[in-house]
Amino acid sequence: MDAYLIAIAIVSGIYLLLALGLNLQFGLTGLINFGHVGFFCVGAYTSAILSTNGVPVAWSLLAAALVGMLAAWPLGVISIRLREDYFAIASLGFSEIVRLVATSEGWLTNGVQGIAGIPRIFSGVTGQSQAIAMLAIVTVFCVLAILAMRRIVRSPFGRMIEAIRDNEEAVKSLGKDPAGFKMQVLLLGSMLAGLSGALYAHYIGYISPDQFIPFITFQIWMAIIMGGVGRISGTVAGVIILMVFLEGSRFLRDIAPFIPEVAMASIRLGAIGLALMLFTIYRPQGLMGDYTKR
Amino acid sequence: MTGFAELLLSGVMSGLIIGLAGLAVTLVFGIARFSNAATGDTMTLGAYGALLGTTLTGSLIFGGLVGLLAGALAAVLSYVLVFRQLANRSPISSLLASIGLAFFVRAGLGLAFGHNQSVFQLDIVRPIRFLDLRIQPNDLKFAAIALVTLVIVFIILHMTPIGRRMRAVADNPLLARVSGIAPRPVMFTLWAMAGAVSAIAGIILGMKTVVSPEMGWDMLLPAFAAAVLGGIGHPVGAIVGGLVIGVAQELATPFVGFTYKIAVSFIVLLLVLLVRPRGMFGRVEGVR
Amino acid sequence: MNLTRRQTLASLAALAGSGLMPSLTFAQDAGTFRIGALNPITGAGGPYGTGMQKMIAAAAEVVNAAGGAAGRMFEVFAEDTQTQPQAAVLAAKKLIEVNKVQAVLGTWSSGVSLAVLPLASEANIPLFHCSGAPALSVAPANEKKLGYRFQATNDRFGRAFAEIATKEGFKRPATMAFNNASGIGNTEGFEKAWKAKGGEIVASVVYEPAQPSYRAELQKILDAKPDVIVMGSYIADTTIILREWYQTGEENTFIMPAWAGNPELVKALGPDVVEGIISVDSISNEGSPAFAAFDAAYQSAVGHPGLTNVYAAMTWDMVTVLALAMEAAGPGADMAAINAKIREVANPDGKQVSSFAEGKEALKSGPINYEGASSVLDFDEFGDVTPDFAASFIRSGEIKREYVVTL
Repeated sequence: MDAYLIAIAIVSGIYLLLALGLNLQFGLTGLINFGHVGFFCVGAYTSAILSTNGVPVAWSLLAAALVGMLAAWPLGVISIRLREDYFAIASLGFSEIVRLVATSEGWLTNGVQGIAGIPRIFSGVTGQSQAIAMLAIVTVFCVLAILAMRRIVRSPFGRMIEAIRDNEEAVKSLGKDPAGFKMQVLLLGSMLAGLSGALYAHYIGYISPDQFIPFITFQIWMAIIMGGVGRISGTVAGVIILMVFLEGSRFLRDIAPFIPEVAMASIRLGAIGLALMLFTIYRPQGLMGDYTKR
Repeated sequence: MTGFAELLLSGVMSGLIIGLAGLAVTLVFGIARFSNAATGDTMTLGAYGALLGTTLTGSLIFGGLVGLLAGALAAVLSYVLVFRQLANRSPISSLLASIGLAFFVRAGLGLAFGHNQSVFQLDIVRPIRFLDLRIQPNDLKFAAIALVTLVIVFIILHMTPIGRRMRAVADNPLLARVSGIAPRPVMFTLWAMAGAVSAIAGIILGMKTVVSPEMGWDMLLPAFAAAVLGGIGHPVGAIVGGLVIGVAQELATPFVGFTYKIAVSFIVLLLVLLVRPRGMFGRVEGVR
Repeated sequence: MNLTRRQTLASLAALAGSGLMPSLTFAQDAGTFRIGALNPITGAGGPYGTGMQKMIAAAAEVVNAAGGAAGRMFEVFAEDTQTQPQAAVLAAKKLIEVNKVQAVLGTWSSGVSLAVLPLASEANIPLFHCSGAPALSVAPANEKKLGYRFQATNDRFGRAFAEIATKEGFKRPATMAFNNASGIGNTEGFEKAWKAKGGEIVASVVYEPAQPSYRAELQKILDAKPDVIVMGSYIADTTIILREWYQTGEENTFIMPAWAGNPELVKALGPDVVEGIISVDSISNEGSPAFAAFDAAYQSAVGHPGLTNVYAAMTWDMVTVLALAMEAAGPGADMAAINAKIREVANPDGKQVSSFAEGKEALKSGPINYEGASSVLDFDEFGDVTPDFAASFIRSGEIKREYVVTL
């Protein structure tokens, strides 16, 4: 049981890093990034390729964060000045291009066969202690990311990006260029996604292009919407709800055996959809959100 | 040369479907002011509706009408139950809700019809040869349906009183309201139209390919790309955008290979946006 | 506000708790052996997964009815992989850690098996799977040699395609592959085998799924004037491609795997379009008594003939082989001892048996060789089997098997 809970905690931590990045981009700055999974993918592949070629995992993690960040740069240059929903489409397209590159450039990524045998972090230890070490690493990164977020929110930079979210025109009229700030936010969020992807790769041990579909992005969106947009506590709560959702359906079988197995995937999808709708309509501030602010 | 012409032809066919879906996206955007991610799944719903109608009545045409009605009805319902509640909020709320709706509809269709593919029983015939060009008779019919759809949308938008009111709302919602245009009939017509257009796109796609719960969601990206490319909110733009994407994808394949086909549409999109940030036909909008 | 939040959290906790509790109440029991049925109930493997799971349960019942394996009764815990590696990893963790299973049976897609095999190896328990990827045979994935493959590798499928193409006298084959490991594995296996025979491939295309049209892809293939197109494809894309191919008016033939060239394809397109298509499948060991037993169980559990789900025959064999290996290892044997017996009970030079009860009896007097429902089930050094393949031809809307190919 312990190991299963640890497994869930590790995956939650990986999702939390993704969600923190998205919360910075959307929750604080208003940037609609529908391509988050693309940078997750870049990070996963970077670390997987490097570490299977003998680079120590500590360096490959660092490289994954950096390459994840760099991958966002061309997207930012082309589309950060676009209207918000155009950016959403452009980023979604970008993440699909990333997936296609991972699929097609077999010399680099081993193509559709995927990369197997990605080394674990702390390969010295095995079994339960390995999992605990992994959990510790993920937790450390999550705590660091949360602390960084708190600093950002309280800094002048944080006030500026929130101002951009609330009224971009006003920021422009003050003589500040919102695009520059948005770019920084995009890069920061993508760095977190890249790191998260690397942790994912080392944890699962096998990656292939079809693990990086846009549905992952929308799951993270659901987490931050339900938890409460723009708040760190909300992001944490949202990821927990997401995991209860995804893993809970495993145990649903024990309490509701009358649901046919085949229907389960549809029920899971429908429940995510319904939750997204109900939350946006009836509780747009999310579970942890400030009730007074709409 | 024939090879080139045939690629062009197949690009035009794909482009018409993408364009129709883009038209549905753009119609909603023009008036309700948000990108409706449920468009793809409305397509799927229309295709299943048509399939069911065809099985029940034995007539493809009647089945098609059932699908069209199903799409229109679903879209109106989605407005009443979801998007009307969000009308005064930021467009992002509606966009997110539409993603939720998309998942919900797809899940419902999966539960109702299962995940195995279904097909329309069309007569599959050998091609017509025209100047050494192979033309598929079914494609001609699909193209005709797409064009008729486009013409009807235009007649509604430009030659009927409700269409004039819709365009007035699209141009300036506040002014339209002050001038005494009641929003409700405008919105109902809009959503019915968008739903019907999505359904037609879905039915044609279903007839050309296979019907499955995921079919519409898979078309959403190109549809959005077409709408954005044409200048979102601009009906002709959406169709032209769809055609550009369809043709570019097919013509690029000899150079970039087949796996990057889908990437081509996004690269075209990004290139156009670099030059014209509002799309090909887009006007410079004021503050929304 | 606070109250609401607390209530929500409390109800969430209650939900999670109520879900977790039943699984916690299972106590350890020396008289039972827990097996995990980890199948693709949803996702791409959905059409097969439920049948696979039911056959694991049914075969376990058969073993239990015969007095259990070395006296131990099988207890089955079922999970869904969703045909996704990430979901499968969590499901496998749950099976291994919460349910304490001692063997994991029936993963299907290669991505899932590649992700689960390291977990199973780490826990020193075997994984029996039906995946095609060659990477599953060797290190790093199969370093501990706890992975057993009950399905032909994609490579072997490709070799079977090449044998059939030779036999039919084709000279100018072209290939089309769905862009995933299985699709490309099939056509690459074919290309390798075909070139080894001194043949030439006139054109090949790898395509992305979910497109409104595959005409450009087809055109590239047809421009090379092939006499046969070898497909590594699935049912949906095959339906679309064949419809478009027929409407181009070309006259070549197709060789495709049976999960694409099946009755559903015939139903979707009509007999004219699919006339002459050669559909290739690794075949269940159909004449065998083991298959007859499986078929009867499948009929009663699922309601379809056993022939419709070749993977379910594999999961049936998985349970039987495991039980026989346990029986051979004797009461109270640990997993390493059981693992050492797997080849012994399944490979030749023993008395041929086709059910657990029969094998149990025969083990008393000497070595056995289980001849399975899915194949004769002889594992090579990598834990792979080499089933036979059947070439079926679609004629006037009927899919008829014409001959068997033995590699």
